[in-house]
Amino acid sequence: MIESYTGIAPKGDLLLLRKLADSLAGKTFLHVNSTREGGGVAEILQRMIPIMLSLGIKARWEIITGDDRFFDMTKKVHNALQGNTEFIDNEMWEHHFRINEANAAGMDLDADAVLIHDPQPVPLVTFRKESVWIWRCHIDVSNPQQDVVKRIGEYAAKFDAAIYSVSRFAGALSVNEFIIPPSIDPLSNKNRDLSNDEIAETADRLGIPRDRPVILQVSRFDKFKDPTGVIMAYRMVKKYNDCVLVLAGSPAADDPEGTEVLNEVREFASNDPDIHILLLPPFSDKDINALQRMATVILQKSLKEGFGLTVAEGMWKGKPVIGGAAGGIPLQIVHGATGFLVHSIEGTAFRIRQLLNNTPMAQQMGERAREYVRQNFLITRQIRDYLAVWHTLSSQGGSLIEL
Amino acid sequence: MMDEVEITDKERPFEFRQCISIIKSTGKKAANLMELREVIAAVSDDSIFHHTYQYFLKEHILEYTNDFAQWAGESLEERALAEQLSNIDPYSCKTISDLRAALVDVIDSYLESFPEPRDALPGDEFFFNETVTFVFPVGVRAKNLAEFLIALRFIDRGCIYYHFYEARMRVTAGTDDFSRWLEDSLLKTELAKKIRAIDPFMHTTEEIRTHISGMIMEEVSSDMEMAGVRS
Repeated sequence: MIESYTGIAPKGDLLLLRKLADSLAGKTFLHVNSTREGGGVAEILQRMIPIMLSLGIKARWEIITGDDRFFDMTKKVHNALQGNTEFIDNEMWEHHFRINEANAAGMDLDADAVLIHDPQPVPLVTFRKESVWIWRCHIDVSNPQQDVVKRIGEYAAKFDAAIYSVSRFAGALSVNEFIIPPSIDPLSNKNRDLSNDEIAETADRLGIPRDRPVILQVSRFDKFKDPTGVIMAYRMVKKYNDCVLVLAGSPAADDPEGTEVLNEVREFASNDPDIHILLLPPFSDKDINALQRMATVILQKSLKEGFGLTVAEGMWKGKPVIGGAAGGIPLQIVHGATGFLVHSIEGTAFRIRQLLNNTPMAQQMGERAREYVRQNFLITRQIRDYLAVWHTLSSQGGSLIEL
Repeated sequence: MMDEVEITDKERPFEFRQCISIIKSTGKKAANLMELREVIAAVSDDSIFHHTYQYFLKEHILEYTNDFAQWAGESLEERALAEQLSNIDPYSCKTISDLRAALVDVIDSYLESFPEPRDALPGDEFFFNETVTFVFPVGVRAKNLAEFLIALRFIDRGCIYYHFYEARMRVTAGTDDFSRWLEDSLLKTELAKKIRAIDPFMHTTEEIRTHISGMIMEEVSSDMEMAGVRS
C-alpha cells in the first residue's frame, strides 16, 4: 500500500515514514472518533488505517456510540469551541462522561499510542493506561467559549499532547501542543489521475460545456462560502470573457439553512444558461475530481472557513485557485505564487480575468500549486507527522532526534 | 566490514542526510510590535531558529526572508520594518543570541520612530512555534565527483537544506558540508572555494542545487579532458 505513493509523495517523507514505522513496528496505534462515515475525520481515517497497517503498525479504529442527548450535547460543545454561545449544564457534562465511561467498558483501550479525535470521546482519557495518549483537535478553537474550553481542558490536561491543524488554535492547554495540518490522499477517487474519457463522461452527464473556460467552486451551499458573491464575480468577468460557471455541492436535506441558501443562489442565477448549479449526491468523489480537472480556474471564495481542504484538492489538479483569505486558505495559497488570495468580489473577478487572459501564468501557478501540495498536504506527510509525534513523546528525545 | 577499517578523510564517502521537522507550539503569541519584541527577547533559541534559519526550507516563495519580516509586512503592513528585518542575514550571526539581539535592535529602532504601531487583526497574530527535527541518512553515498553529481540531482531539497544551510550552525567552521567534503576527501580546494562563495541567503535550495551541479559538471568535464578521456 505504502509503495503506491512512491513517485508521488516526496522521497524524504516516505523514507522518514519507514524509519519511524520501523522503530514503532509491531506496536499498536488506536484511533477513536465518533463516526465511521461522513466528515473529514472519517474520510482521512478510512485511508490512513490501511497505510499504517502496511507499514507494520497495528493500527485500529474504534467508534464511540451514544444516544441523541449525547450527540446534541457534543454538537453544542463543538459549536461553543468554535466561538458560538451555547448553554451546557452540569447534567449534560455528567452525561458526556457517563456515555464515555460506558464506551470505555466495552472498548479495548490497551494500545501503545491512542489518538482521540475531537471532543466527543475526550473523557475516555480518564480511563487511560500507561501509554501515549494524544488529543487531536480538528476544530477551530482560536476563540472558544471559556467555560466550555475549561471543561474540555480538564480532560485535555490528562493527555501527553494535543495536535491542532493550525498554529492559532494552540496555546490554550498546559500539555505539549503540536501543529499538524490536514491532508488529501492523492490516490483516492477524489484526487487520483483521471483519463480524458472519464473527465468527458462526467462533463457530458452533468451537461457542462467544454468549449469555453470553466470557472468552478465546489462547496456546500452555505452563506459563508459566498455563492452569490461568486455569481457576481462571474458576471463581472462575463462582460470581458465568455465563460461558464459551475457551482457544485451536496444537497443539504437535513440543513434548512442550506436549502434556503440553495434557493437563494438559484434565484440569483436567474436562469443564466451558463451558470450550472449542481447538486451532487454524497460520495460523488470521482465527479468532483473530474469537475476540478476540467476547470480553468477554481474558486473557494469563503468568507469564513475551517481549513478548506477543497483548495488543496484543486491545487493538486494543477489548477490556479482563487481563495478568500479566511481560515486555513492562506496556509495553502501563497498569494501570487500558488494561487491568489482575495478579499472582495471585485478582487475575485479581477483575478479570474487575469488568469483567463494569461494562460502561461495560470499554467505556471497551477504547477507550483501542485508541487506545494505535494510537499505539504499529502496524507503521507500527515501520517509521518503522527508517527513523529508518537516517537517524540515515547523517546523524550528533545528537539533533535537522529534516526 | 568497512566499519572495521579506519577510513581516512581522503577515502570517506559523502553520506547524504536529510532533516524533516514537525512543528510544536510554544503557546506564545504577539498581537503588535511591542509584544513581538518582548517575546523575541525571551522565547527559546529553538523558536528563533525555526522562524529564521528554517525559513529557508520554505523555498522563498514568500516575499520576505524570515517569518518575523513576513508578519510585519503582511499582517501589520509595516513594510519598512519588514524590509529591515528581511535584511538581517542569519548566516552572518555566530549564535542564536546574536541573531536575537539583531532582531530586537531593529524593532527597537523602528519603535523609536513609530511608537504606536497597530494591532494585527484577531486570528492574525504572530504565533511562536519551534520544531522537533528528525535527521536521517537517505541511503545515498558518493565516493567521487560523478557519483556526487548524480546524487545531488536525485535528493530531496530537505537534503540540500541540511548540508548547505543547517550545516552552517552545526559545523564549527560555519561552512557547508558539501565544500568541506570536496576539499577534505577529494582535495578539490578550488571547487570548494567556489561553492563557499555562493551566498546562501540569496538563493533557494533548488537554486543551490542548480549552482553546485553546474560547478561540479564543469569540474568533471575538466577532469575528463585532463585525463584525455574526451577527444
